[in-house]
Formats: sequence, C-alpha cells, structure tokens
Amino acid sequence: MKADTARIVLIQVASLAVALATWEGLARAGWIDPLFVPAPSAVARSFGSVGALAMAGLADTLAKTAVAYVLAVVLGVAAGVAVGSLRALNDVLHPFVVALYGMPKILVLPWIVLLLGYGTAPAIAYGALHGFFPVMVLVVGAVRDVDRTLITVARAFGARPWQLYLKVILPAIVPSVIAAMRLGLVFCLLGVLVVELFAGIRGMGYVMGSLANAFRAPELFAATGLISVASIAIVLALDALNERLSRWR
Amino acid sequence: MKTAVARLALLAAALFAWEVVARVGSPLLYVPPSAALPALRDLLLLRSYPDLPSHLALTVREIAIAYALSVVTGLAVGFALGLYRTVGRAYGPILAALYAVPSVIWYPSLMLFFGLDAASKIAFGFLLGFFPITLAVLAGIRQVNPQLVVVARAFGARPLTIFVKVLVPGMLFTLVGGMRTGLALSVIGVIVGEILGSKAGMGALINHAYGLLRTADYVALVMVTLAVIAASDVAASLVERRARRWTE
Repeated sequence: MKADTARIVLIQVASLAVALATWEGLARAGWIDPLFVPAPSAVARSFGSVGALAMAGLADTLAKTAVAYVLAVVLGVAAGVAVGSLRALNDVLHPFVVALYGMPKILVLPWIVLLLGYGTAPAIAYGALHGFFPVMVLVVGAVRDVDRTLITVARAFGARPWQLYLKVILPAIVPSVIAAMRLGLVFCLLGVLVVELFAGIRGMGYVMGSLANAFRAPELFAATGLISVASIAIVLALDALNERLSRWR
Repeated sequence: MKTAVARLALLAAALFAWEVVARVGSPLLYVPPSAALPALRDLLLLRSYPDLPSHLALTVREIAIAYALSVVTGLAVGFALGLYRTVGRAYGPILAALYAVPSVIWYPSLMLFFGLDAASKIAFGFLLGFFPITLAVLAGIRQVNPQLVVVARAFGARPLTIFVKVLVPGMLFTLVGGMRTGLALSVIGVIVGEILGSKAGMGALINHAYGLLRTADYVALVMVTLAVIAASDVAASLVERRARRWTE
C-alpha cells in the first residue's frame, strides 16, 4: 500500500515536471507566443516584481471576503433555519428561493455597482449575496431532514419552541452547516473577485485585471498562481478542520 | 391552492413595494416595474436595441459551443479517470484541487490569450461546465454495483458491451444530473465573460445600457437574458426527467 502511494506521488510529480518542461521548451523554441503564454521560468522570475503588489491585493481581497463571508453565513443559516422549520413559509417561498438561487448573480452586478459605487462596499455586498443562497439552501434541506421523532419526543416532554431550536434542531444540523460554510467560502471569494475585476480599485481581481489589460502575462500568471494556491490552502484547511470536528463528534 | 394564493400575494406585494420605493427614491436608480415593462416592450419590438437578435444569437452560440466542448471533454476525462485506477488516483486529486479555486481567476489569462471576442467566453464557459460533468462521471462510476460488472464479465461480455449495457445505464441518472449542472455553469461562464468585457453579445448590451445609465433598458435586457437561461434549464430538466423514468 505504501509503495503504491509512493508510486502515485511519483506519477504526479513526474507529470507536473514533464508538463512544465514541455511548456518551457515550447516557449523557448518560439512555438507559443510568450506575449500570451510566458515560459514558466519567466513566470517564476516575475514573482519578484509583482510579489508585493499581489500580496497586498490578496490581503485586501481576503479582508473583504471575510466580511462578506460572515454576513453570508449568519444570514444564510438564520434564513435557512427559519424557512426550513416553518412549513408554510417553505411552501410559499420555495419557488422564489429556487429562482433566486439559480439566477446568475452577475446580472445584478451592474446595478449593485450603480447603487454602491466602486470599491469595497459593492464587493462585500455582492460577495455576501453570492454566498448567501448556497448556504441557505443547504441549511433548509438539513433542517427539513431532522428526524421527526426527535422533535415529537421533545415536544411530548414539554420542550418549548426555543428549546426545540437550541437543543434539537441546531445540534442536528451542525454537519450540514459546516458543509455549507465550506461551500459558502468559495462562493464569497468568487463574488468578491468578480466585483474587483468588474469595478475594482483595489484587491487581487483588480490587480489581475490591470495586468491582463497591460499585457503583462508573466506577472498575470504569477498572480493567478498565487491566488489559486491561497484558495486551495484555505479550502484544505477548512476540510482538515471539518474532519477534526467530525471525529470529535 | 392556499399556497398558490400566498405566492401570488407575496409577488404582488414585492412588486408593489418596489414600485413605491422606486418612485419615492429614484426612478432612474431603482427602475419601478411600471418603467421596466415599457422598456421590455421597446426592447422586444427592437426599438431600443434594433440589433438585439444578432447579439442574442451570438450569446446562444457561445453557450452551445462551450457546452458541447465541456460535454465531450468532461465525459472523456471522467471515464479516463474513473476506469483506469492509477490515472484516477494520480490526477483525480489535482482536478479536485483545481475545482476548489474560484474559477473567475482564470478569466484574465483567458482574456489575454483569446482576446475580447467570442473565444474567451467560450473558453470560460467550457472551463466552468467541464468540472461538474467530469465529477459526475466519477461519482457515477463509483455508484455502479461492481458485482454487475463481475457477472457480466463471467457471462463473457466484452468491455464495450459492459460499458454500454452495465456501466452507462447504472450511472445514467447521476451523469444527466451532472450534465444539467454543467449546462448551468457553461451559461454562467459565458455571461460572466461577456459582462467582464466584450464587444458583442447580451453582456455587451447590458454593459452598454448600464454605462449610459439607461437603467430601464438594462432591466429589460436582464429579463431577456434570464428568459434564455430559464429556457435552457427547463430543457435540461425535461431531459433529466426522461433519464429518471428510463432508469426506473
């Protein structure tokens, strides 16, 4: 088994090396235009010139994402618990929630920018909007899936409504809330980046947009690599946290 | 019945509140329904944007090409990763890690590489649609009962027969669900691409109307775009329902 895992890692590393070498070779031989696709060595060199700018942009983006994320999770979980536990509310709202959830939010982005101007506010608003519906929809499903007998028994023993929420429903939906939080984070980050690309004055999306417009491909590739590593790291950290929590439970 | 009435009442109340807020606040900024509907009529009668049909056709064409590419590539990669154990174990995690990256970060590079025309939108729509289809193939293959494959093999079925008669029917429902998600994401990719920067297509019209503060026209263009998106999803859900009936 261990030897097998080593073989897999070897294949991964080897394919990555071959891909990079091929890419470098093609760029050096002039088969691909370095104006559009720079060689890996050029990308690596440009980390020096773009690093500080990109890190500042990344910090700005992550700060906005954090605010948007807290909003999306708090509002999404609250709305999800309310809609999921009140049957009549769910019946009435269901088609609207499905429609709003499925609608590409990008279509209202121009309007949000018109209302809130350029900069931080639209990024937070749009990021929160982007994360809200996935969180809410997941939580609604989780609340509706709570074992009915638990609720009946709690009621039979005279539990008050607030006790029902705090002691039965909330503990039962914790795994789904954590899953929703993982999903919501990617959505919020995506939303913030879209606004920065569309109407940003700061942040990673803005940095990348201006690098693309200036045809600074090596710097753009370096910045793209940086943010993808950052988001993979965040998601892996959340997964690890999730695993630790579920083992503890 | 009661629910339907409540839904209609809620919708009417929301539209009414919107109308009041917009009139009291700023009709230009909030576009009351009473201003949006005439704008929609003017748009559909080709008064406000006479070249609407060609832009709409371009957007639909971009979506169709992007989605076709996602289906072909997604199925090919999915089966390659799912049917060959070593390949799957080596490249599956890399694919999953890339899927966790917010997709829009690839867009500036695509824009740089493919330019502002249709190609960059098609590339982005393809990229977004590709992942759910590949992942659905992987999930579907895991779902098929391995004993069915063993039995089919024991009865002398060839690999191709096993593929067509055992594997595909067993995973059809998951596969079709993934293809529906893929379509929705291809649509989003094309539209996001158009709004972030384009010279033609619905996104370009939306940006044009918004940039000139023609907000009523902007709302009308959004409604038309939403209608196209809704139509594509309805078509996909019909296919999905067929597949479900066929599986059961």
